[in-house]
Amino acid sequence: MEVYEVFRQEREGAPMQHSGNLLAPDPELASHYAREFYGRRQESVRLWIVPRAAIRDLSDPDLLQPPLDRSFKKPVGYSADIKRKLAAARDRLGVGSAGEPEAEDPVVAAGRKGAEQA
Amino acid sequence: MSTSLPATGPEAAAQLDEPTREALAELLLAMADDEFVIGFWDSEWTGIAPLLEEDVAFSSLAQDEIGHAQVLYQLLAELRDADPDRIAFGRGAQEYRHARLLDHPRTDWAFSIARRFLYDTADAVRLDLLAASSYAPLAGVVAKMRREETYHLLHATAWVERLAGGGEEPRRRLQDALERLWPDALCVLAPLEGDRRLVEAGVLAEPLADGEQRWLTGLAPLLERLGLPFPFRRAGARLEPAVERPASPRGDHSASFEWLWGEFTSVYRSDPEAAW
Repeated sequence: MEVYEVFRQEREGAPMQHSGNLLAPDPELASHYAREFYGRRQESVRLWIVPRAAIRDLSDPDLLQPPLDRSFKKPVGYSADIKRKLAAARDRLGVGSAGEPEAEDPVVAAGRKGAEQA
Repeated sequence: MSTSLPATGPEAAAQLDEPTREALAELLLAMADDEFVIGFWDSEWTGIAPLLEEDVAFSSLAQDEIGHAQVLYQLLAELRDADPDRIAFGRGAQEYRHARLLDHPRTDWAFSIARRFLYDTADAVRLDLLAASSYAPLAGVVAKMRREETYHLLHATAWVERLAGGGEEPRRRLQDALERLWPDALCVLAPLEGDRRLVEAGVLAEPLADGEQRWLTGLAPLLERLGLPFPFRRAGARLEPAVERPASPRGDHSASFEWLWGEFTSVYRSDPEAAW
């Protein structure tokens, strides 16, 4: 007996989603059982039936959850870092904090001018 | 072929002459009772099939058969202006017209699989003979049933192959079951009184006896390859049974069936007038 993981598609164009798993003695019966478990109420237009043994499992924390900070690899992490740098630059230039949105931010303006000259 | 009839039951029924209507009613009752009774026998595996997955699958197949019986009883009810529930549940045990193949109790797994295999393969041929029926309401129902039966056939064949190649005990049980069931399996496509008339009216493509030959010819290669019982002799182009055909293919039902009938009619009999 082998475990099969079953994915189903609810309608054409929808993503394949993991539905669950089942036990079967061989791939043919696995297909029949998948049809009964995840298709007998006409809730699927396609099923993928995958022997669990064929799935490469990757769960090593050294690969997926490395200990060093990786926040700069996330869009939100990058913007947080930029905000911190902006605040520091404002302090250096002695201008106000981010509470005055009307005026162009001097740091942004300096950057824009630099880009125009280049 | 006769001209095509409208798709709704009562109008189509009204266009048939009386002898053809009688013959069609006989065929519909035989088919509906076959599906109904095998559905009830096989539903007895719910909870005790060899593995959980098979339990769900086999129970679902049994439900499909009850569903097929329901639409066939409905067609019959339109033909005779009767109540389908009363036809399904309101008759005495000996008034059912299912084939003797379905008189046997559930027995063991190999037996239930052997019966389902013999029944499904014979029923598939019967459905083929009705696919282009001039009786439009039946042709419509048969088109839907055939799509579901495709899966039933795959399932039954998968199990026959596995039991045949599954070691000494499963193979012996399957062989014993087939030997015991073959004579009664011949009842599924046994001629009905009116089947020639149905052929003339274009309701049925060929007499059931010709369907039986197609069925046997189709089964021979698989059963021969698996070395399973196939008790037939070649007589020219025809296959003749080497076992005796039962005298009463759709009657003289067993005590086992009377027990099953008592089970499946118990709720109906408790109050035949109730609305469910």
